[in-house]
Amino acid sequence: MSADREPQKGRVEIRDVSVRFGRNGHTTEAVSGVSLEVQPGDFVSVIGPSGCGKSTLLNIVAGFLKPSVGQALLDGRPIGAPGADRGVVFQQYSLFPWMTVRRNVEFGLKMQGLGQNARESAARTLLGMAGLLAFENHYPDQLSGGMKQRVGIVRALATSPQVLLMDEPFGALDSQTRTVMQEILTNMWQQLRLSVLFITHDIEEAIFLSEKVYVMTARPGRIKAEIPIPLPRPRTPEMMSSPTFHALVRQLKGLIREESLAAMGGELGSTGLQGLDHHFGRDGMRALT
Amino acid sequence: MSTAPRRLFEEVSADHPPRVPLPPVGLARTEDTLRPVPPAAAPQPLPRRARSVEWLRDNGWGILMGAGSLLGVVLFWHVATTYRWDFYIRFTNIPTPLDVLDKVVQVNANGKFATNIGMSLRRIFIGFAVATVVGVAMGLAIGRYRVMRQLFFPALEALRPIPAIAWVPISIMLWPDNEVSIVFITFIGAFFPILLNTVSGVQSVDNVLLRAGQCLGAHEGRLMWHVVLPGAAPQIFTGLAVGMGVAWVSLIAAEMISGQFGIGYFTWEAYSLISYADIVLGMITIGLLGLVCSGLIRLAGRTLMPWLAYSAPNGAAR
Repeated sequence: MSADREPQKGRVEIRDVSVRFGRNGHTTEAVSGVSLEVQPGDFVSVIGPSGCGKSTLLNIVAGFLKPSVGQALLDGRPIGAPGADRGVVFQQYSLFPWMTVRRNVEFGLKMQGLGQNARESAARTLLGMAGLLAFENHYPDQLSGGMKQRVGIVRALATSPQVLLMDEPFGALDSQTRTVMQEILTNMWQQLRLSVLFITHDIEEAIFLSEKVYVMTARPGRIKAEIPIPLPRPRTPEMMSSPTFHALVRQLKGLIREESLAAMGGELGSTGLQGLDHHFGRDGMRALT
Repeated sequence: MSTAPRRLFEEVSADHPPRVPLPPVGLARTEDTLRPVPPAAAPQPLPRRARSVEWLRDNGWGILMGAGSLLGVVLFWHVATTYRWDFYIRFTNIPTPLDVLDKVVQVNANGKFATNIGMSLRRIFIGFAVATVVGVAMGLAIGRYRVMRQLFFPALEALRPIPAIAWVPISIMLWPDNEVSIVFITFIGAFFPILLNTVSGVQSVDNVLLRAGQCLGAHEGRLMWHVVLPGAAPQIFTGLAVGMGVAWVSLIAAEMISGQFGIGYFTWEAYSLISYADIVLGMITIGLLGLVCSGLIRLAGRTLMPWLAYSAPNGAAR
């Protein structure tokens, strides 16, 4: 896990993927003709209104779901069942409540057949890096939400995956903890340089963390825009008040707003909000959405 | 189970450096300035006497209430039987507490009473152990795989409403000897609560935990052992506790009907022989044995599932 390892592996490709759900002839299309790419060592976010199928894309890459059309590839090979080469951090807390923090982190290594001593020292090293060593013998129910998610990230990294898949991992945290976690994550990524596919609905979060942001349309989800984020590395919280950052936020908000309105139903967009625009002006509207 | 809320973090002051040295740049950043309170930071140990005084203050009232309610039952029993109350309910033939106490000494003069207890415990142990193994194994399979559910569940649902006691005549015909048929009745009693609770426990395991297990490289067998089984464990133990209760009910009924030896047989025989004090002694012994057995299950549950001490509290009002 050296800091300056040149990333070679971990290329994720999604090619013309569509996903249809449904039975008895009633099908709904969740995702329609989506193509996206995560270069080795790249941090890529997918953002979109709720229900646009962004988590569906992650589930395909994780191997939980098969696309109805198209294919997903990892380093050129079609993705099959879930496996330890793709670490997943879930939105809900997903630590095993019956295992201590250290046993949770050891779990993936145990499945790889590593011996007790090797597992233990690997887990302790990782927990030390994450500032969690003092809690190695705690059960997840004894930890705060932010700590649980940190253990979740450490656990996903323990098997040295080529890709880290994160499905709104900080969605359940309060905003202060969330900011801290974003900083921890960006520092960690800076060190490890592994590919990350990050799903979120938080615009600032996506910009702060990513090299590239994909914006999705309302259901059925398509890729609406691909926005490169030209902010320098390493990222610091101060950048969030820079003009570049604000310009990006404005651009993405505009794109997302159209889709959120579409997702909520056409009538609201055309009539309901014009009156509000008139009363509050455009800035007031922005505060509302 | 009242644990005082414990702070997990406190500010680091200049004279208290962090206990765990952290790398300058790493996964920890802002919370570098926070340091964990060592879990062993318990309050200063009090001198022994002060501690026992405190313990008594916390628990004394509860103990007093418990003792009072038990004493009340015995006192009522004593008064009602000594004065031979007779008002629709008749206490005329019921032995007094002291009669029963005498009996305890008498029956322990030879080994017959102890043999009866031993026989009952052996039947419970075998029947319950088989029910646990079969019930949990089938419950895991039925809960997890639809094919198993479709294959076994209709048959099991058809048999389930039949009380264990109703199996007694068939059981006597079915098995080559009396002993096995009593164990079988005990098994039937314990089996269904264990099975049904295991099935529902398996189905209540959070899908995200299964997915987490899968993407950490666990395949079906290990997922079953490392995720599904511990995830279902709390409900399995509920099933074991209920199953133990039903097993005793079934055992006593079977022993009364078809037994030789056993505490249920002892109690029924006492009735036939008009030995009233023995009846009550039998009842109390059955109650105590049941209490010990369910206590053992609770103890096993607490030992095997230590994490439950930290999960969300239940709804009991204080």
